[in-house]
Amino acid sequence: MTALPTLAVKNAKKPARVTGHGKLAAVYLAPGMLGFLIFIVVPLVASLVISLFDWPLFGTPKFVGLENYTRMLTGDPVFWTVLGNTLFFAVSYTVLNLVLALAVSTWLHTLGSWGPFFRVLFFIPVVTPMVANALVWRLMLTDDGVVNSFLATFGIHGPSWLSNSQLAMGSLIAMSLWQGIGYNIIVLGAGLNGISPNLLEAARIDGAGAWQRFFRVVLPMLSPSLFFCTVMTIIGSFKVFTQPYLLTLGGPGESTNTIVLYLYRNGFSFDKLGYASALAWALFVIVMLITALQFSQQKRLVNYDN
Amino acid sequence: MSNNRVTGRLLTAAAVAALAAGTLSACGSSAGSSSDGGKEASSMYTWISNENDRAQWQAFVDAAKKKDPAFNLTLEGPSFNDYWTKVKTRLSSSGAPCIITTQAARAQELKDLTVPLDDMVKSNNVDVSMYNKAMIDGLTVDGSLRGIPYDAEPVVLYYNKDLLSAAGVKEPTLNYTTAQFTSDLKALTKGGVTGLAVPPGFGAGPGLPLAFANGNEPVKDGKLDLTNQGLVQDQQFAFDLAAKEKVATAPQASDGSDVPEQQFMSGKAAMIIDGPWMYDTLTTKTQGKVGIAVIPSTSGQGIGMIQGSAFAIAASCKDKETAFKNIMKITTPEVVGAVGAARGTVPSVESAIKDWAGNKPAADVAVVEALLKSGRPLVTTPTWNQVETNFTQYSGDGFRGTKSAQDILSTIANSAK
Repeated sequence: MTALPTLAVKNAKKPARVTGHGKLAAVYLAPGMLGFLIFIVVPLVASLVISLFDWPLFGTPKFVGLENYTRMLTGDPVFWTVLGNTLFFAVSYTVLNLVLALAVSTWLHTLGSWGPFFRVLFFIPVVTPMVANALVWRLMLTDDGVVNSFLATFGIHGPSWLSNSQLAMGSLIAMSLWQGIGYNIIVLGAGLNGISPNLLEAARIDGAGAWQRFFRVVLPMLSPSLFFCTVMTIIGSFKVFTQPYLLTLGGPGESTNTIVLYLYRNGFSFDKLGYASALAWALFVIVMLITALQFSQQKRLVNYDN
Repeated sequence: MSNNRVTGRLLTAAAVAALAAGTLSACGSSAGSSSDGGKEASSMYTWISNENDRAQWQAFVDAAKKKDPAFNLTLEGPSFNDYWTKVKTRLSSSGAPCIITTQAARAQELKDLTVPLDDMVKSNNVDVSMYNKAMIDGLTVDGSLRGIPYDAEPVVLYYNKDLLSAAGVKEPTLNYTTAQFTSDLKALTKGGVTGLAVPPGFGAGPGLPLAFANGNEPVKDGKLDLTNQGLVQDQQFAFDLAAKEKVATAPQASDGSDVPEQQFMSGKAAMIIDGPWMYDTLTTKTQGKVGIAVIPSTSGQGIGMIQGSAFAIAASCKDKETAFKNIMKITTPEVVGAVGAARGTVPSVESAIKDWAGNKPAADVAVVEALLKSGRPLVTTPTWNQVETNFTQYSGDGFRGTKSAQDILSTIANSAK
């Protein structure tokens, strides 16, 4: 009985050794943490500070307090338009991307030895530069481009895919899907490969049909991969920039102007770094809230049982 | 003990790495700075989009060397499109060049980056009246001169002589009315050819030069005046050429100026409104012979819209006097004339126009001279970038008839206040 306190005292001295490992761990961590500090934390804090100023690219910044935020929320109708456009893009793109990627990856899963070949084909647009992809799509979608020339052979007068405000956003989403779907196909394909065939076999023996097996067995087992794809796709879609920048310049009107394109222009074309930083913080908060919401539902919606 | 030894080695390695990095960065900073500012006074920050641009700046240096063999300029800079953003960040850093290029249309936007030249003009007995008056007016901000112009380029109307001849259209010259212009475009639009090639931009595209020709300008008393009735009507006239008259192909927002230029050069469009800086390209690479005319106007006697570039001194320059003397060496009538002859820029000095004219057809030279005499500078505001960007975004609606010029220009005027 008396030995316990002695042991406790001996154990109490152990943290001194742990401190020694702590220093070593700190040294190992230092390069990564330094990078995180320099490239993430400092710019984050700097942009928050800049957002409180009227800050030109050249000249003396002027402190304006929360004026940039007030203007953004109450005095700039374009902000709400670009926010709406970004939300529309993010929701449409994410839903279509996940549905199509799930359908294609399920189909590829059944192809046997041809599966990897097609998986590579779908993945090629992901690894080609977005700028090159956008230029190819521009050639396809201009008024006298490949698509309308093809339609003309059937006597159809094609619409203005990039200059009609009803169609321009749809064109951007189509191009983005073509560019981005391959990544999710690979991730979901890996998830499908991880599902034990015994489970599906057992379900089949129990009399479950193809749709029942897909919705009752495959989807729950695939939910961790789907969750990862959903989070990453939503975050990526809120940052959409290159497609409108190269295909439509945000037009016609403001119909394809997105929040990142708008903040880029405010910062580097309109010389309003303070306002651009306020827009960046608005985007940061929105993405953070949506991601937090997704993680809060993780336990309820995602099944990590093997 | 072994842990401590490892930690010690790691810390030593980290210290050595930090020291090496510090030494390298110190080398970098010492190479980029100079205490007396002399090197910067002979350095120029300008747009260098390609080898053609570099050759143009080198032509200034080579021409100045004829009088002063020891003269030299160090050149640095990004592409033209990036220049207007990067010049602001470059001049904020240490060791920035003293000489920068600017434009009459950008003088307002860059006014904080440049210094007034009036005192140096006076102390060096420079006669600025020899330079094109419109350019001097355009480079004057808040009553002080911000740059010495090296060119003065009135926007002109290019036409394909072969296509005009085939359509039975008389070649326009120094007197051209908008009524005749519309009638000619209708006659020219047939068989896969459109009358006019149009870019989506504001300054580059037909609306603003047409408004200038009628005496309607976008800036009044230093403030945007985009909704004045004259400008709105002229812009609507330009939109209607595509939307109603169908004598032009409506551009895409992302077209830039190269797409309509290609349409013109390939013979798919009979006319295009463009700057004289495109003269050599358009006259030599177009399928068919090319001529130039004044911009059409209601009266026929159009006022020229003059754009042009200049050399200015950066506000951060330590040795402004030396920088000014260097600028004056590359803006003499002899130098701007030599560069005009070699590179095709229209000289900012009237006496040097003959060098630019060279073997060009007399009718073409007469058009440029007439527009230089009548011309007005394109003066803008510090928010002009926003005006241009927004106009390009909205022009698709205008050229397709889904929005009026009044709506578009009002929207832009409100957002670019």
